[in-house]
Amino acid sequence: MVGTIAAIAVIATVAFYFGQGAPATHAAGGGPATLAGAPAQSYPIKRLDGATDSLDRYRGRVVFVNLWASWCAPCRSEVPALERLYQEDRDKGLVVLGIDQGESAEAAAAFARELKVTYPILLDEDQRYGRAYAAVGLPTSLVVDRSGHIVRGIDGELTLAQMIDAVTPALRAQ
Amino acid sequence: MSARIVALVSAAACIALVLAQDAVPTWSGFHTWQYATVLVLLGVTLTAYALEARAGRDGDVGTKLVVALIGALVVGAAGLASGLLGPDSQTIVRAPGTVAPLPDAGIAAFFGNADAATIERGDARVVLRQKNGVSLELGPGERRFIGTAAFELHPALAAFIEARDERGRHLTVTQPTNAAFLSPILLFPGSVPVAGRTLPSDEFATPAVQRQIKAFFFSRSATAAARAHGLAGKEAILFAVDDSQGRMVQGGIGFAESGSAVNLGGLSLRATIGTYPALVVSAVPYPPALWLGLVTFVAGLGFAFAPSGPGLSKARPSQSKA
Repeated sequence: MVGTIAAIAVIATVAFYFGQGAPATHAAGGGPATLAGAPAQSYPIKRLDGATDSLDRYRGRVVFVNLWASWCAPCRSEVPALERLYQEDRDKGLVVLGIDQGESAEAAAAFARELKVTYPILLDEDQRYGRAYAAVGLPTSLVVDRSGHIVRGIDGELTLAQMIDAVTPALRAQ
Repeated sequence: MSARIVALVSAAACIALVLAQDAVPTWSGFHTWQYATVLVLLGVTLTAYALEARAGRDGDVGTKLVVALIGALVVGAAGLASGLLGPDSQTIVRAPGTVAPLPDAGIAAFFGNADAATIERGDARVVLRQKNGVSLELGPGERRFIGTAAFELHPALAAFIEARDERGRHLTVTQPTNAAFLSPILLFPGSVPVAGRTLPSDEFATPAVQRQIKAFFFSRSATAAARAHGLAGKEAILFAVDDSQGRMVQGGIGFAESGSAVNLGGLSLRATIGTYPALVVSAVPYPPALWLGLVTFVAGLGFAFAPSGPGLSKARPSQSKA
């Protein structure tokens, strides 16, 4: 009797084991869009003028974070729209924060001078923001609300209309 | 050997096999049919004895021992479930500063950001954030249990890359074939066979100067065997610099010792070699079931073997009469 039970139990165990599908795999997140709703990471880094700055310093305002590099052609072409967004909405509590990825101050300063950038430029030599914001290319933009949470993460070049569309809900929210 | 001793030894073996899942959760043997079969056979032995004992065939102690055996069976069932149903151990490698959602475990793993010094020290941490907002920080060599999963960090090879152009200007480092596009930290997911050795390999780019660079890690023994000039017995990276068409740049191949810059094909490259943690997730028995089984087992042993008090011994004759 016991032997029969044991045999059945063993056969059932082995059959169950081999009847199992592949083990569950853990999905990996990808791209800045997946960060919506997450707290925005902040690291102290140098600003173009030499002062130390970070995203946290702008808590209470809506921040349009733009990750860029001077060698990136789409980054260059969206700067006029970024500048206009900054000029038009800064009184409503918007900050545009350009974060250069991995380049020297010299390269970033030349870029800012050439394109007449007036919004704050930060120098992220170790590319910490690029990693934390899941950039899959440049430019990468994120809208961070007044409480420091990411509202939207966007990969690629944006038009002014797309930028306004992205920041307006966060600017309206109190 | 009496049936009672066989049952007690089986119960102890069953519990030890299941507790081993918590002690060494990464061992792949827990997810094999052989492990499950041993647990089932032990369970059958326990059940067979319990049925006999419950019928009074092993006296008063045997009848009382059934409680302990039920505890051991509960532990065994918890171990069998995690072994058969739980996924095999998984090693999750992510770039510093990135997040890995682990929906099966109901958590998100935040891989701590790292600079060259952190890579060199190998002390980066990972934060496990649960759905309820509770966070647990995991350091090198530490282990944490959340639900039916054990999490631990294993150090994995990493190198922090710094690239500069001919004028010494810092350059953006990208990894176009990696999920972490903007990471200057190489995690060497590939490998290449070279002269009978398998070398960990990775690649990155410096788009500002249109260069693609392959990196091969040489361990201390590999540099000794390769008789690399001045580097024998030291860890080093062999860089091979290509242009945007994939053609090797003249003077674009050479070794860099950890922390030292090397000039190759118009680039200055510095690699700081060290480790960055990989997160290993393993299935473990459901803790409430495990504890319930263990407590029942211990209480059952006490119930069966503890000497009876005077009041109890007086009560026995009347019970047996009844």
